Amino acid sequence: MSDDELTYEAATARLEEIIRRLDSGEAGLRETLDLVTEGRTLVERCAAELDAVSRGLEELRLDELVARLEQQTPDAQEAP
Amino acid sequence: MTGEPVRPKGITGSELPGPYAVGAYARGMRDFLRARPRVQVFGEVWNFKIARTRAFFELRDADGALPCGMWRDRLEALGLPDGVLADGTQVVVGGGPDYYPGSRTASPGFSFDVSALRVAGEGDLLVQLAELRRRLDAEGLFAPQKALPRPVLPRTIGVVTGESGKARDDVLAGLRRRGWAGRLVWAFAPVQDRRAAPAITRALQDLAAIEEIDVVIVARGGGSLADLFAFCDETLCRTVALLRVPVIASVGHHTDRTLIDDVAAVSASTPTHAAEAAVPLDVGAARARTRTFAVRLAWHGRRAVVERARHLARMGRVPGEHVARNRRALHQQLRELRAAATRRAAREREITATRAEVLRRKAAAGAGADADAQRRALEGLGLALGAHDPRRVLDRGYAMVDDREGGLVTSAARARELGALRVTFSDASVDARIDE
Repeated sequence: MSDDELTYEAATARLEEIIRRLDSGEAGLRETLDLVTEGRTLVERCAAELDAVSRGLEELRLDELVARLEQQTPDAQEAP
Repeated sequence: MTGEPVRPKGITGSELPGPYAVGAYARGMRDFLRARPRVQVFGEVWNFKIARTRAFFELRDADGALPCGMWRDRLEALGLPDGVLADGTQVVVGGGPDYYPGSRTASPGFSFDVSALRVAGEGDLLVQLAELRRRLDAEGLFAPQKALPRPVLPRTIGVVTGESGKARDDVLAGLRRRGWAGRLVWAFAPVQDRRAAPAITRALQDLAAIEEIDVVIVARGGGSLADLFAFCDETLCRTVALLRVPVIASVGHHTDRTLIDDVAAVSASTPTHAAEAAVPLDVGAARARTRTFAVRLAWHGRRAVVERARHLARMGRVPGEHVARNRRALHQQLRELRAAATRRAAREREITATRAEVLRRKAAAGAGADADAQRRALEGLGLALGAHDPRRVLDRGYAMVDDREGGLVTSAARARELGALRVTFSDASVDARIDE
């Protein structure tokens, strides 16, 4: 996960905040619709994160991975 | 006790020298023992006790034992870790025999006076470990890993462990328990011999070099301290301390504490727990929670729109309802007014009829018998007046001229003076103007 991406925990924390605000009943129509839109985006992001670790265990060996990377590196250097 | 004791007679027939006073003999014994050469002795520590100024223990092996005593300040200067001088610990001590001569009020005692001590065997490892731990801690190397952010949902996890060890299955079990099924990169390395520490160090560096790796687990099952000592290697521990990815260590059983446990971000008691620490989130529960979020959001979104639509509908109906309500009110008022007017007209009619009747009766009563004669006289007068009515003259072809304000004009001079006149015939008047 790169730094500029919202982390899963940050996304869920924001979602909780949104739900709390909506449950409070204090948000007007415009704010409610904005929060719902933002919340849907965050739910999609969280679902994508969960999907990424639910597709089935993929097991790799470091030595194989390192060998593969070492093979790729000269190719990458040759590329224009 | 003051002064020399009185010397009694010796044992009759004995050829031994003396008798000597016991205190003098004991001091002599002390001096004799202290003059023995200083040596190193090794054995196992037993019954280690610390008194106010001295520490006492026995040094034993299969063939014999030696009571030992050591000044506390000397012992403390060694900086041994707590509990290292437990029963059975192998030590080498340096010193020589000593004797406490005692007194009338204090028991005498023999001991081997220990002036130097080194923990040997596994205890020696503990001492080295304590020393290294102190050094790394002083350099602040226990902190960096703990400061690294750990994602609750790593996508790629690196695992350093023995290829054939049970730790591997335990890690998988822990990940399964979390419902996690992402990408796992195994870095198999020897975990207990001389090659172990450099191999583990290299594996960790290689894993950290892969950008996708979010967290690394280092796992090994239980073993003796000597077996686990690879995880106390200074280079390995320094590498872990400065790694960019958080390391979760699970080495040995929970009673063992290797140095990697200190430098790692998290120290777990078992490989299963290490896997659970690497994925703090229960994926199934998180999925359910996300679904709940989605349902709540959808509900709020729907409710907001429906409520606003209802509100708008209510607002839309308001003017129509208002007009209808006013119209109904107006109709009602109109009906009431009509009814009131009808009632009032009827009442007025009745009152007027009543008054007319009353007047008629009063008139009849007041006029009496002359009424008919008077009526006839009046009719005669009326006829006479009618005969003199100027309008009757007009009927005969005359016209009447006035100044348009009712003032009769009876001369041509006046007519010329006025200019504008009104001429009244029997049927109507016309305005006229003098042309001359």
